[in-house]
Amino acid sequence: MSSSIGEKCTNIKQEYDACFNSWYSEKFLKGDATPQCDDLFFKYKECLMKTLEEKKLDTLLADARKDNPFPKNSSSSSSDSTKKE
Amino acid sequence: MVKFYQHTSSFEHAWDNVTYAFWLRYPNPFASHVVGCDVIDRQVDPETGVLRTTRLILKQGVLPRWGRGLIKNPDAYIVEESEVDPKTMTMVTRTKNLNHVRVMQVEETQTFTVHPENPKWTQVKTEARIISELRWGLTGRVEAFGINKFMDNSAKARKGMAHILERLRQNAALAASGAPVAGAGAVGAVDC
Repeated sequence: MSSSIGEKCTNIKQEYDACFNSWYSEKFLKGDATPQCDDLFFKYKECLMKTLEEKKLDTLLADARKDNPFPKNSSSSSSDSTKKE
Repeated sequence: MVKFYQHTSSFEHAWDNVTYAFWLRYPNPFASHVVGCDVIDRQVDPETGVLRTTRLILKQGVLPRWGRGLIKNPDAYIVEESEVDPKTMTMVTRTKNLNHVRVMQVEETQTFTVHPENPKWTQVKTEARIISELRWGLTGRVEAFGINKFMDNSAKARKGMAHILERLRQNAALAASGAPVAGAGAVGAVDC
């Protein structure tokens, strides 16, 4: 399992991830969107937000999330191919 | 300068497994540069039923020698925003780097849909935009480096997804054969 950017948040993050994974595969994809991991996410996020503030990433992140990176007519291609994995 | 890139590929795996693998894709042997990954926000839109997620990913950058003078801190933060619509079976992900944007900004959009020719497969359309504001004659080198690096990374990302998908398939086969597996948790042990 990969770590949180904030070392001290890794445990709670992994607990939350495990909850989300089972919710996503067993509930959400089968049509049941009832939240199941909110309490864990709240605890995880509380820890994470402190880390982002410490690393001064909070404002950088807020700015980046303001704009829409892909306005509709922005793509033309310099290379195009189709292949199978 | 701005460069565009477009690519379509497919996975011989069902759409729901591919979208699940997207959440599980770090770490994998093709992404050793990813050292951290966090969920910043996540919610289901009550009206549309679409799952929206914002994640922050920390990568340890690999720079060419001429780039080391431009970038002191080689760590790169990537923001990834995604939407999963289980009704239309469409997942759209958008990623871009948060820092080093003056040297190079890479914005990538991926759209995962059921393959038009085989409902058990998944089609992935990748579109990217690479922008550099550098001057002093470096633009050409940055441009070439950016496009090459991006294509290289795209290939690695596809290999990483294929690796996770194969593990999911093996787990499902084990479960079907009656062998004891820990359900989603068995693969959950490798997730982001």
